[in-house]
Amino acid sequence: MAKLELLQTLTGHKGIVWNVSWHPLGKMFASCGEDKIIKLWSKEGEHWVMKTVLVDGHQRTIREVSWSPCGNFLASASFDGTTAIWDKKSGQFECNATLEGHENEVKSVAWSPSGQLLATCGRDKSVWVWEVAGDDEYVCEAVLNIHNQDVKKVAWHPSSDILASASYDNTVKMYKEDQLDNDWACIATLQSHESTVWSLVFDKTGKRLATCSDDKTIKIWQEYNADNQEGVIVANKDSIWKCVCTLSGYHTRCVYDITWCHTTGLIATACGDDIIRVFKEVDNSDPNAPSFDLICTKPNAHSQDVNCVQWNPSGNQELISCSDDGEIKVWKFTED
Amino acid sequence: MASRFSGALQLTDLDDFITPSQECIKPVKIEKTKSKTGAKIKIGEDGYFDLSTGKEQKLQKVEITLADCLACSGCITSAESVLVTRQSQEELLKVFSDRKYTDTRGVTRDVTLVVISISAQPLLSLAARYKLDPEEATRKLVGYFKSLGADLVLDMTVAEDLSLLEAQQEFVQRYQNQQQDPSAKQLPMLASSCPGWVCYAEKTHGNFILPYISSTKSPQQIMGSLVKQHLAIKRELNPSEVYHVTFMPCYDKKLEASREDFYSEILNCHDVDCVITAIELEQMLENSGRCLSEVADADLDWPWDESQGAAVRSHAGSGSGGYADNVFLYAAEHLFGETNPPLVYKNLRNPDFREVTLEKDGREVLKFAIANGFRNIQNLVQKLKRGKSPYHYVEVMACPSGCLNGGAQVRPVQGESGRELVTQLHALYGGLPVARPAQNKLVKQLYSDWLDGRDSDKAKALLHTAYHALEKNDIALNIKW
Repeated sequence: MAKLELLQTLTGHKGIVWNVSWHPLGKMFASCGEDKIIKLWSKEGEHWVMKTVLVDGHQRTIREVSWSPCGNFLASASFDGTTAIWDKKSGQFECNATLEGHENEVKSVAWSPSGQLLATCGRDKSVWVWEVAGDDEYVCEAVLNIHNQDVKKVAWHPSSDILASASYDNTVKMYKEDQLDNDWACIATLQSHESTVWSLVFDKTGKRLATCSDDKTIKIWQEYNADNQEGVIVANKDSIWKCVCTLSGYHTRCVYDITWCHTTGLIATACGDDIIRVFKEVDNSDPNAPSFDLICTKPNAHSQDVNCVQWNPSGNQELISCSDDGEIKVWKFTED
Repeated sequence: MASRFSGALQLTDLDDFITPSQECIKPVKIEKTKSKTGAKIKIGEDGYFDLSTGKEQKLQKVEITLADCLACSGCITSAESVLVTRQSQEELLKVFSDRKYTDTRGVTRDVTLVVISISAQPLLSLAARYKLDPEEATRKLVGYFKSLGADLVLDMTVAEDLSLLEAQQEFVQRYQNQQQDPSAKQLPMLASSCPGWVCYAEKTHGNFILPYISSTKSPQQIMGSLVKQHLAIKRELNPSEVYHVTFMPCYDKKLEASREDFYSEILNCHDVDCVITAIELEQMLENSGRCLSEVADADLDWPWDESQGAAVRSHAGSGSGGYADNVFLYAAEHLFGETNPPLVYKNLRNPDFREVTLEKDGREVLKFAIANGFRNIQNLVQKLKRGKSPYHYVEVMACPSGCLNGGAQVRPVQGESGRELVTQLHALYGGLPVARPAQNKLVKQLYSDWLDGRDSDKAKALLHTAYHALEKNDIALNIKW
């Protein structure tokens, strides 16, 4: 039997905790929320404790935090319309750069795998790509007005500079830089969800993408190159993304977040029904029509909506979650 | 349907397709009579009915005009529908057939003269689309407008020249003011001819950026003053009965024409009544089953005294009207005595952000830039905000590649890339006869006969404008998680 065992409940935020983000080494994580505060947590012996509080970076709710791949920078996206970049060059964490430009609420922020690019998105329906231009210098590389509603989430491909975004317009868009004029363009629109797409995550190869939605489903998308052996038609493009699996009937409310472990291949979801679920791809399932089993359900994981779930990047089967109930929980997943 | 607005306006929501009723916060004025009980409203199938007077009285539907949207800081929505009603091909065809129009104040007026003013960029877009050389395309386009019922079809060279000359003079003035008072917000001077950029600056950066924006009117609006306040009077016509249409490369120009600043209370009319774009003209031709190459030729009109001659011309420099080049050369000569210094642009992070400098005695005395596209506007604004802008002048245009790539230019045909098309339009623009603003005799005559001289109050009033910051009021109801 697979199970999620609660290791620890962390309190301290006032009000909704919107997001938790693992440091790339998996020994520390950051959390943020309605209280406009970022907290950094790490382990002392067997217990997770709050080590640092970052305040005064934002004037309104902090919606998401994201560590750079090198682990030296933390970006925070806020409803005050700005994205702050924190680092500890001076010995302690300080905000040394602020990215301004979004018209209003910034909803998500993500670093590219090289750490040279940063993406943000928000209520103004736009997706922005920023480039690290030097010490505390960030320049705007692109403003993509492709979605026609609020953009909820941005995520980078794990190995190349391909960006994906999820929106209230029910679609996912992907973008890439056109080398000829250094401008970014939309290269794919993933259409199948029937309501807001809240979050998305690539698998470790970057050939698959998992999305979760207000339509209570999870979808798995797969990339087919122009020279694919499966006979999928790819017209005038390098590749297309096709929905190869829809997981419906499991979630009873909106699915807010999804995380795909790059070590175990397990998918976990955060849902408005207060439940955390873990899915596993069936052994020997057809790669072009994969099936996934729900292997673990944790009812009342939180007392209110679960906003975010994140697998520890070290692959140790640790999972963190946070909720409207103001709590952060650390879980250990075990199978058999 | 893809938006034809520039990226800057798309971000400020000016292009979205929500009809005003959905998100508009504009307070609606309801004429109230004193009553002790509140109003009682019944919702019927065909509208809302006020029952408070005892009998059913149908309530008026709320109408929101484009001017309302431009003046409002609320949702910043001006639905396409709002724009389309007054500035569409349908409206233009209706004016041609009825010889009547209803102005922004709801007054219906007779039309005694229809004037069309043609700018170079959309003309070249059509030339490329129908595979005509620019001169031929001009004659066909004039012929087409004449066949619809236009009385005069004019080129805009004179307005473009006036706009450049005024901008040059304004720059030198600002430069000198800055020398005297370095704390004055005089430099960098930012170009004002792109309405997408101006509207974005007003709605988003307000009083921080506006003092830097050149007060010189765009060629479209100078042409507007010239047609309504000079040509009409010369011909002894009531300006409000002259219907003035401009042919432009982007939708944002429609917003510019609708600005209250360009409405004359004395003449009871706007300077430009309707803006029509290349993509709309292509559609008009398609709707009527015609191809531009089959239209009978006609020549541009020349209603002016000076015998300069009519032609659609280019200006040295960028395809957006050559602002940076012209201001640079004038400033180099008038401030530093350098005649015709080399203009060598250096690309910055991308080809749409370029800079050029004038060195004197090993020192950079002038530093100009061209910043096209929204991403570069962002980086420019951030540089200004952090006090890190090294520029004296920046030609700012909201569309990548500038006006030749305007949002309402004809789309590339199947198999052609947008980049190839812009390159082709650049080549066509370079092939046009080049205007020389300082040598334009008509300009000289207009300064002396119409504008009472170069620096007169009249010239200031007719060739310059002002910008207004819009305060944002954040309403809790607008928050969406």
